[in-house]
Amino acid sequence: MYGWIWRHLPGPLPVRIFEALLLISAVVALLLFVVFPWIEPRLPFNQVTTG
Amino acid sequence: MSTNPPPGQRPVPRYQRDQSQPQTPPPGTPVPQGPPPPARPQGPPPGARPQGPPPRQNPQPGPRPPQPVRAPQLDEPPTQPIPRVRATPPPPQPPRRPARLIEDDQPTRHIPRVVDEETTEVEKPPEDVIAAAAAAAAAAVADEEREELPAKPPEEQPKETGRVVVRSIGEVLITAGLVVLLFVFYEVYVTDWLSAGKQSDATVALDDRWKGQEDPQRKTQFQVGDGEGFAKIRIPKFGADYVYTVLEGTTDKILEVGPGHYKGTAFPGQTGNFAVAGHRVGKGAPFNDIDLLDACDAIVVETSDSWFVYRMMPKSNEVKDWDKTKAANQKCQRVGTLRTNAADGGAYGKTVGQEIVLPSQSGVIAPVPNRPDAQLPSGQQASLITLTTCHPRFSARQRLIVHGVLTHQYKKDPAKPGELPPEMQES
Repeated sequence: MYGWIWRHLPGPLPVRIFEALLLISAVVALLLFVVFPWIEPRLPFNQVTTG
Repeated sequence: MSTNPPPGQRPVPRYQRDQSQPQTPPPGTPVPQGPPPPARPQGPPPGARPQGPPPRQNPQPGPRPPQPVRAPQLDEPPTQPIPRVRATPPPPQPPRRPARLIEDDQPTRHIPRVVDEETTEVEKPPEDVIAAAAAAAAAAVADEEREELPAKPPEEQPKETGRVVVRSIGEVLITAGLVVLLFVFYEVYVTDWLSAGKQSDATVALDDRWKGQEDPQRKTQFQVGDGEGFAKIRIPKFGADYVYTVLEGTTDKILEVGPGHYKGTAFPGQTGNFAVAGHRVGKGAPFNDIDLLDACDAIVVETSDSWFVYRMMPKSNEVKDWDKTKAANQKCQRVGTLRTNAADGGAYGKTVGQEIVLPSQSGVIAPVPNRPDAQLPSGQQASLITLTTCHPRFSARQRLIVHGVLTHQYKKDPAKPGELPPEMQES
């Protein structure tokens, strides 16, 4: 999977590294600001009220 | 047996003795016995050892008299049939002989040929196999270097796809682990950052509202909409900078901003139970440390026009000797157990400073905690504060509850904005 992505990144090595970092940060941002806030209330980690 | 020992061959391996046995019984003639013993020790021992043991079997099954005669010949190089056997194997490969020689000896003439064929057959293949393996390895290396170039020998493809599948599964699992770690990081830190911004927004909004409250329209003190801040809570023990704006309501969205007031419970200073929920992990974690509160620690609530000082009630193990503790501690002067002389302690007999309950026990936020059925006129009710959060940390299994009782109340002096009550000096 990662090998496939790496081979399909265009450009020379420095550009590829930059693109890879960009991809990683995009995925992390997607997780932090979209996926996790959505999934969090569905998980029983942090419920503080009674009743 | 008896014949052999005398010549002094005892130390010599058994095969020599054994050979003598077959000889004696079949022929039945004592004559051959004499000559053979001397002949055996002659030379064969080192080279013939492997052959030695097998021959025993051969002569025995074969009842013929001539065989025993041949057997001794086996040991001797001169005889025709057997030398050939030896002669043929040597060219191929010496090391393999011993294993097969055992088989050679059984049918004296036939099997040697078979052995020859086997050896030759076996020898040739190894060379081919080695060459083929080397070629395959070279091809594999070349493939790896090229990674996914189309040119692959058909045999390699199943291996290659299997490797890709295994590697992909591994990558997916590692990725899943990283995502889970990232989620923990999100829960513990990122939500704090997000909530800090929302909390400061709510505080600014509340301050603005308090400043503009001089207009007589908003006479009623606590007329707040959902998610609207209406009070600030401070706990001097946690430092002078511990202050959170309390909002109305306890939905997840509201609790992200700050501690939430259970709708329907009393407001600060009123009789009954001012109940507040707050997160313990992430989202600002306002109630992260309320398990560290001790009896008589102050919980200060600021509203638009007043300061209300609550103090934590005695814990269950302190209730019994509370009078002594109370006398010893200046802070506890106005903190009572609220118990009566009745056997069960009266209406507040089940109210203690700290308790851990199940999430379903909503009685802890009732006007008279844990006694929802108690019909106490509001005039006789005490003014309590109740904080709820999750317990243990990172779990929703239980709830940690802290009860406090109102001890002091100060009117804010409009002439001295920013003045703090004396309890804020405690730490």
